[in-house]
Amino acid sequence: MPSGGKKKHKKPSRKKSELDSALDQIGDESAAAATKEFQDLLSEAKGDTSELVRQNAEEVERRLVLLKNRKIDKEDFDHFIENQKRDLRVYVDGQPAQAQERAEKLTIQVLEIAAKVAIALI
Amino acid sequence: MKSTLISRNVFLCAAAIFIASCGTATFTKTGSDATIESLRSFHLAFIGEFAVPGKKFNATAFNAKVNEGNAKFQQAIADEKFTARRPVLVDLKAQFDADAAHLKSKASHGKVTPALASEMKKDVNKIYDHALGR
Repeated sequence: MPSGGKKKHKKPSRKKSELDSALDQIGDESAAAATKEFQDLLSEAKGDTSELVRQNAEEVERRLVLLKNRKIDKEDFDHFIENQKRDLRVYVDGQPAQAQERAEKLTIQVLEIAAKVAIALI
Repeated sequence: MKSTLISRNVFLCAAAIFIASCGTATFTKTGSDATIESLRSFHLAFIGEFAVPGKKFNATAFNAKVNEGNAKFQQAIADEKFTARRPVLVDLKAQFDADAAHLKSKASHGKVTPALASEMKKDVNKIYDHALGR
């Protein structure tokens, strides 16, 4: 269970992941800003104290790698993003809203930007 | 002395009622949890049966299973005693509907991959765990 969504001040290590390398190769300048924002947000989410936020970020990352490696297609990816949003709703329904406010915000932001980045990645 | 006795009896009655109501709630919650676990098993078996790479799509069998699933979810929603849990069951049904629609589209075109099947099962387990407050 998440521990309340407090922000961790220590930045997680920025060792380049498979996804980072793929995102760095995106040549489209118009997608560069969204990609940078996504990388920062994903890094923050993966270092968060909330398990929900971390799990959500790790899933998005894994699925972007699957998409990039053509193990799943864009339709599958979009389906999984919608699943993650639905799952988030189920989780939040069972929690005090106050405790989950930040976690919800961060997870939704990651999912929204991931959908934009996915288009540039394929 | 008499008033102390009455107070004690009132207290004991209140405590007994409280303990009994807790027992009923726990029993009902256990039943509700069992329903969710049963829906999870059905949902996972559905994905296991139809999200198989290379398997020929059988529309009749698929539609029959979807109808069976719809009936199970609707019954679970109607029977749910905890009103707070109904929206969660509605979300679980929405997940089943979305998975069925996605699988139909992929399986009927022979586009199911091992990664799709595996990720779908992970999502099912996660949403049911959250529905159970885990």
